[in-house]
Amino acid sequence: MPFIRRLIATTVAASLTLSTLPLYAQPAAQGDSGLIRTEQVAAGAAPVAAAVQGDHARLLATLDRADLAERLRERGVSADELRVRIAALTDAEAAELMARIDKAPAGADILGLVFTVFIVLLVTDILGFTKVFPFTRSVR
Amino acid sequence: MRGGRRRLLTALGGTATFGAIGALGGLGGCASLADPPQTQALDGAWPAGVPPQLELRDVPFVPQTPLHCGPATLAMALGHIGIAVDVDQLGRLVFLPARGGTLQLELLAGARRHGALATRVPGQLSALVQELAAGHAVVVFLNLGLAMSPVWHYAVLVGHDREAREFTLRSGPVERDVFSWRTFEFTWARGGHWAVAVLPPGRLPATAAETDAVDAAVGFERVAAPAEAARAYTALLARWPGNLSAAMGLGNSRHAARDLPGAAAAFETAATRHDSAAAWNNLARVRWALGELEAARQDARRALSRAEAAEPRWLEPARATLAAVSAARP
Repeated sequence: MPFIRRLIATTVAASLTLSTLPLYAQPAAQGDSGLIRTEQVAAGAAPVAAAVQGDHARLLATLDRADLAERLRERGVSADELRVRIAALTDAEAAELMARIDKAPAGADILGLVFTVFIVLLVTDILGFTKVFPFTRSVR
Repeated sequence: MRGGRRRLLTALGGTATFGAIGALGGLGGCASLADPPQTQALDGAWPAGVPPQLELRDVPFVPQTPLHCGPATLAMALGHIGIAVDVDQLGRLVFLPARGGTLQLELLAGARRHGALATRVPGQLSALVQELAAGHAVVVFLNLGLAMSPVWHYAVLVGHDREAREFTLRSGPVERDVFSWRTFEFTWARGGHWAVAVLPPGRLPATAAETDAVDAAVGFERVAAPAEAARAYTALLARWPGNLSAAMGLGNSRHAARDLPGAAAAFETAATRHDSAAAWNNLARVRWALGELEAARQDARRALSRAEAAEPRWLEPARATLAAVSAARP
């Protein structure tokens, strides 16, 4: 029986490790291998692949700014958490978010804008089904 | 906001009108009046094969902490499919403190990160009861307030009763919150008829549209273990054998799982079935990795000629693949 228990423990440990690994590794690995990714095929439209890949990187790079990280922390969001959230966005979702940042007029308060985009504008229109902020408020 | 106010005025106008009619007609209650459209439809045509009364009692109840109905809802949905999560930890993943709420986008992504697929279910009451009949609890997004002054809320639909015309939900602090069909439809409509089924890879919602199921799997592939993603795509292909995205997803996830022969088989099926440049391209890459250089060159040529003929978006990768396999030495 101890053998079986050890086998189960090892399997669980291995699968837990594996399940956390592919977050960043997988898309990069497929990109390097020259394979066309599923998301590119599913996207159907124009060849946006390269640009869209870049949107994830650009969103992540935004988070490296110390001043933004500080402001996020003040509001109870850590940059690390946002990094994980960004990684979980699909290409289309990341592109939508980045487009909002790119549309900013020159001379605007970029930091405040980026912050607003992350925390507020992420909400609107991304899913395209409502004009109202799809946030939850609990019932009191 | 303007639209919201107009909706409110319309709603008020409607209530006043019906109130007047009710008074004139001497009707006792207003429940028989102005049932919303889907409630009426469900009354008229009950979906085949759905039992008249049903409750998924094994959906765990996670009471919400203040403002945390999003994380609690996701924790209940995940718990029902055997994925135990700590609701406080989940709250850090899907809750936005500054806004006091959880985005729908975050709810979908949160499910993915816990190894489940969150798939949109059609915004029809009939679809909801069909999901319940299939044993799937459904996460719904409600506006318990008015369009003008919204009270957003997530809840888990766990049961229905045809005769009583009621739904049962795990909602906020209430384990069995009973909504009449009409109240549920009104609040659900104001939340955009948003509903998702949270299921493990390999299981599909009974009513999901093909595109919604593919979206869920593609998002899942981003963060899931490759073998799990492959399981999700296999289930998609079983229901929609002609879906190219699912076929490519199967090949790509097997490749990511280092199952090269399996990946080659999937890409070959997709390539011959769809004559897709993307599938030929990936098949060439995988066969090259398997050491089948001559076959890889043939596939790469087919990828390029197909891209030139009909799929210009894959011209660049197809050219790169052909150049690479042509230059390769065994």
